[in-house]
Amino acid sequence: MKLKEVDRTAMQAWSPAQNHPIYLATGTSAQQLDATFSTNASLEIFELDLSDPSLDMKSCATFSSSHRYHKLIWGPYKMDSKGDVSGVLIAGGENGNIILYDPSKIIAGDKEVVIAQNDKHTGPVRALDVNIFQTNLVASGANESEIYIWDLNNFATPMTPGAKTQPPEDISCIAWNRQVQHILASASPSGRATVWDLRKNEPIIKVSDHSNRMHCSGLAWHPDVATQMVLASEDDRLPVIQMWDLRFASSPLRVLENHARGILAIAWSMADPELLLSCGKDAKILCSNPNTGEVLYELPTNTQWCFDIQWCPRNPAVLSAASFDGRISVYSIMGGSTDGLRQKQVDKLSSSFGNLDPFGTGQPLPPLQIPQQTAQHSIVLPLKKPPKWIRRPVGASFSFGGKLVTFENVRMPSHQGAEQQQQQQHHVFISQVVTEKEFLSRSDQLQQAVQSQGFISYCQKKIDASQTEFEKNVWSFLKVNFEDDSRGKYLELLGYRKEDLGKKHIKEEKEESEFLPSSGGTFNISVSGDIDGLITQALLTGNFESAVDLCLHDNRMADAIILAIAGGQELLARTQKKYFAKSQSKITRLITAVVMKNWKEIVESCDLKNWREALAAVLTYAKPDEFSALCDLLGTRLENEGDSLLQTQACLCYICAGNVEKLVACWTKAQDGSHPLSLQDLIEKVVILRKAVQLTQAMDTSTVGVLLAAKMSQYANLLAAQGSIAAALAFLPDNTNQPNIMQLRDRLCRAQGEPVAGHESPKIPYEKQQLPKGRPGPVAGHHQMPRVQTQQYYPHGENPPPPGFIMHGNVNPNAAGQLPTSPGHMHTQVPPYPQPQRPQNGWNDPPALNRVPKKKKMPENFMPPVPITSPIMNPLGDPQSQMLQQQPSAPVPLSSQSSFPQPHLPGGQPFHGVQQPLGQTGMPPSFSKPNIEGAPGAPIGNTFQHVQSLPTKKITKKPIPDEHLILKTTFEDLIQRCLSSATDPQTKRKLDDASKRLEFLYDKLREQTLSPTITSGLHNIARSIETRNYSEGLTMHTHIVSTSNFSETSAFMPVLKVVLTQANKLGV
Amino acid sequence: MREAVLTWCVPLELLCSHPLPLSAFLKTQVKLYTCRACAGKDEMGKMVSVINTVDTSHEDMIHDAQMDYYGTRLATCSSDRSVKIFDVRNGGQILIADLRGHEGPVWQVAWAHPMYGNILASCSYDRKVIIWREENGTWEKSHEHAGHDSSVNSVCWAPHDYGLILACGSSDGAISLLTYTGEGQWEVKKINNAHTIGCNAVSWAPAVVPGSLIDQPSGQKPNYIKRFASGGCDNLIKLWKEEEDGQWKEEQKLEAHSDWVRDVAWAPSIGLPTSTIASCSQDGRVFIWTCDDASSNTWSPKLLHKFNDVVWHVSWSITANILAVSGGDNKVTLWKESVDGQWVCISDVNKGQGSVSASVTEGQQNEQ
Repeated sequence: MKLKEVDRTAMQAWSPAQNHPIYLATGTSAQQLDATFSTNASLEIFELDLSDPSLDMKSCATFSSSHRYHKLIWGPYKMDSKGDVSGVLIAGGENGNIILYDPSKIIAGDKEVVIAQNDKHTGPVRALDVNIFQTNLVASGANESEIYIWDLNNFATPMTPGAKTQPPEDISCIAWNRQVQHILASASPSGRATVWDLRKNEPIIKVSDHSNRMHCSGLAWHPDVATQMVLASEDDRLPVIQMWDLRFASSPLRVLENHARGILAIAWSMADPELLLSCGKDAKILCSNPNTGEVLYELPTNTQWCFDIQWCPRNPAVLSAASFDGRISVYSIMGGSTDGLRQKQVDKLSSSFGNLDPFGTGQPLPPLQIPQQTAQHSIVLPLKKPPKWIRRPVGASFSFGGKLVTFENVRMPSHQGAEQQQQQQHHVFISQVVTEKEFLSRSDQLQQAVQSQGFISYCQKKIDASQTEFEKNVWSFLKVNFEDDSRGKYLELLGYRKEDLGKKHIKEEKEESEFLPSSGGTFNISVSGDIDGLITQALLTGNFESAVDLCLHDNRMADAIILAIAGGQELLARTQKKYFAKSQSKITRLITAVVMKNWKEIVESCDLKNWREALAAVLTYAKPDEFSALCDLLGTRLENEGDSLLQTQACLCYICAGNVEKLVACWTKAQDGSHPLSLQDLIEKVVILRKAVQLTQAMDTSTVGVLLAAKMSQYANLLAAQGSIAAALAFLPDNTNQPNIMQLRDRLCRAQGEPVAGHESPKIPYEKQQLPKGRPGPVAGHHQMPRVQTQQYYPHGENPPPPGFIMHGNVNPNAAGQLPTSPGHMHTQVPPYPQPQRPQNGWNDPPALNRVPKKKKMPENFMPPVPITSPIMNPLGDPQSQMLQQQPSAPVPLSSQSSFPQPHLPGGQPFHGVQQPLGQTGMPPSFSKPNIEGAPGAPIGNTFQHVQSLPTKKITKKPIPDEHLILKTTFEDLIQRCLSSATDPQTKRKLDDASKRLEFLYDKLREQTLSPTITSGLHNIARSIETRNYSEGLTMHTHIVSTSNFSETSAFMPVLKVVLTQANKLGV
Repeated sequence: MREAVLTWCVPLELLCSHPLPLSAFLKTQVKLYTCRACAGKDEMGKMVSVINTVDTSHEDMIHDAQMDYYGTRLATCSSDRSVKIFDVRNGGQILIADLRGHEGPVWQVAWAHPMYGNILASCSYDRKVIIWREENGTWEKSHEHAGHDSSVNSVCWAPHDYGLILACGSSDGAISLLTYTGEGQWEVKKINNAHTIGCNAVSWAPAVVPGSLIDQPSGQKPNYIKRFASGGCDNLIKLWKEEEDGQWKEEQKLEAHSDWVRDVAWAPSIGLPTSTIASCSQDGRVFIWTCDDASSNTWSPKLLHKFNDVVWHVSWSITANILAVSGGDNKVTLWKESVDGQWVCISDVNKGQGSVSASVTEGQQNEQ
């Protein structure tokens, strides 16, 4: 296909391959005259700009020359890759002169563009060639067998390759060998070609077929094979191209007889040795394979002869041809449509007239009709055989799971070895690329820790390996989660050791006790008018309030407080307030908060520098139900208000709070999460923390926050990219309907190479896209037309194929009609993510349903103001309320809230099976919980119980374990005794009620959900009942209540107290 | 001679205790072999390990090999005019299909997303694009696109979010876009004169959703902006964007290469706002183009490396952090961006064996 054209009767030379952009130099031809008979000559340079779709060539420079040219070449002499234009233009002139031009100067518009000139030759210089190995060497040929070798470094004195051939004849062609740098060939119209060895300075072989009909118009060496060359004949009687091999120089190896008349020029592609261009007097430009003789391509040309043809050295698909009608055309041999170009030409022609009525005839010109004939030929086919340069020999492509697919085609070393090589060539290698070794090994360790449950040792290892203090702290905090007395340990980590304080305190007390005044003896009661007297008076009259006021007034704080205690709760409270109002000491606010139990105050308004102290206070005092909220609050403050150092410390607060999601957020903010190892850092902590939360609270940890889910899937992606598909699956959150996670899970499962029987494969969680066209059903029509609209793409090879593809969303009666016929297939389908596929003990496995939650053992002597049994509260809020939110949606297929259309296929059952694992993975633990914690005081849990568990509970009531049966008999016996001795109906009612409410206790005993501390306490009470020591029983009762989780005991402990009190009162 | 080299090499081995490649001993010419493990590129040799060698039995050059979405099936194509599909799960190599239909060398194959079924596209020098499809366990030709006037050099499926759309780049300079419209029908849009003398490569931009996926109201289709990149014989990379009227418009011209652009690869999205494109060329250069701000659409090139030979192919890892570069010297190198933003060669995959050869290291030193 024609790319460009320029109207010149000229010789042409492409810029060397190194040059960018590509230029074409033209020099007025000495051999032709145009109709003007002008003998003006010029040297021009055009740029080949392929981004410009027009046929025009961009002229860069014109230099008016005094010479016309027989030959023009552009050598890469002294060329560096940086310059835009360089090298040297070498022209062969009419009068035996060789002129060197500097193309960069021509383009720059300089006047002095000639580098050197030498007219050593006696006649027109028709042949020129540059040595491709030593670009400073140029060979030239002219009349009288004159051949000179020019050294551009020393242009004045040319060399000769040897003695002139006899008889003297014109040299029409000259060419350097492409493989051996000191070999040169020349040819003349007489048909003789001579090969010169410059080292020997003589001709080494003469090539001729002795037909006397070869008029050599072209000579070219084989680009690859050193001993082969072609000769083209201009003689119409013998319009052939002969291929010679010098190893057998008596007759041509092959003769190409594709032209009908004499050949004027040839050009052998340097990019592909199987492409030889030739143009002849039959007005054809042919591209043939000189190794086979086959014509691969005929250029669509006009009827004119071409006298010069050149491959573009840089762009192997481009060639230029100069024709006798005064035009140089640039073609591509890759074919293609010329319509666009042609149309542009027409447009230009029309528009150049300015308007459509250029002649003022009153009639617009008819639109130019392109002849039908050209329209038929407008599509130009490419070469019959693909050129070498588009045959991609090598490639490496990544695929899922960090795999790299590579192939290569080993270059054949020689033709002889080709057969053998071919056998080895066509392999494809699949390689595993692992770039993050450390990341993988750490991930592996983490997985092992999770599987072996060796969290403490894992944390300890992490502590030991920690590089920074902060890192060490974080791991210490995490470790504490798995140890007994975690709150105490937290305090220790914060630098507060209870025992130490105790020791200090005791020391002080001892000192103090020495100064205690000895009591005893007598004392005066003064009622004088001074303040002492007034107080005395007030005391004597029992007016505590005035006495306290007087004390306060006199700044006798201790007296005031002591008196207030005697004066009752109300007075004490008021006195405390007044005291705090007056007191200015540094720790007042702390004391205030402690006494008022206002921990929030501490957390909210402490100086952030004292976050440790605040956290310590919370750890010491906060009730379990407010503990995590307070830790959160402190963390949030640190994160929002603190400097960068404090921000990171917020992580510690979140760890105490067990708030995974916030930990992720905080960590992500502080760290550069993009690097695999820093992500690993985060994931390690998160996984351990989640495990801790799961173990200590037996809570539903399978619910994954958005941020965490994103991080975990990022992590899984990274693992997958390193080839650890199984690990990626283990870490990928289970219980989410986020599309990207579900898709990743599907991809991982299948990448694992699980056998998918007979290509029937699980449904993949992709939303079938609505195709943009021809879609009558609106998107909202999912439910109206569920059968067709929500169909996921069918399993591979499963459904009988309707014509073409049936696309989802296609209102295709065929599809709808056919689907019901294939329910059988559906039944055989494997649910996408059956449980067994999941690695056991994945970090996010929901806790086993019947597992008794592990509660921390509390040391007997642990007596904080408020008992602490579970240091970390549910970070996600009350699980029950969450369940309530989930509950309405639970029976509804997920599709209603997610964007996944669920298949409502006729054989619907199996699809429910498909859906369930996804939808329910999070549910079982939730369902099991109301039974554990459902208390009468907790309406939410109760409601849920009624909805979900009551009907079955009646049937499956378990017996109370034998060891606890005594509790029931003892308590019931006691109630019976009380009832029999009670007289007033009110007491009887109370006891009846108590009897009923104790059922809650028995239920808990049946379920074995009570912590050992509580059950052992209950046994103590029972024992004291048997010894009728009710007051002891009450003390134990108080102890249990104060040391246990309120929600755990609230259902029955108050009733038990009522019973004990009554028993004590009645003395039964 | 070999013995001499051997004895000469032994102290080297003792120095570092890493085994030297066998080739170090077999070479007859004395050459200093740096032990790879000690050359600062630690454990490079183990970075790439061949896990499966598939004997394709192609009778001529292989031009492309692509794994499907799951990495369980391999499609190859060759100058022998055939396309083959292998099941390569668990290190196996079971020939599933030998697809005949092209009448010339087959240049590229591309797997469609599995949500559309098992679909493979192939393009050939015979000016055709064929879409193959598995039905009832057998692969068959599903559609043939003969809309190009010259060799079709590249095929690439659009992100699955857009539907089933295939971009094809041809030596006739045009790019065609085939969109499946249902019931076996494909709609064709053609960009004529996209690259004069030919388009060598097409690569789609990842589907970037404005905002997060979760925020999308369910059932509503996000407003994707469709883009792809193409590279051609005009030395240009062009970025194309679908206008609101459905027409494709040239959005950007990226100029840096001084010769044919052989391949372009738009990096997968990893959630960052930056867009990245890798391009390689006949001129031996590989550029990494980045655009930080989609609205300003300014792309800046960074030279990854200048090779001594044509670079044929570039491929991003799924996580977009590693680039595999395939050169005309039959070498595959892996590149990664270091913390300071420099691209470093992390491995040299030689004959799939995964090694850093001395020559490449030297070559790089010479470059610098």
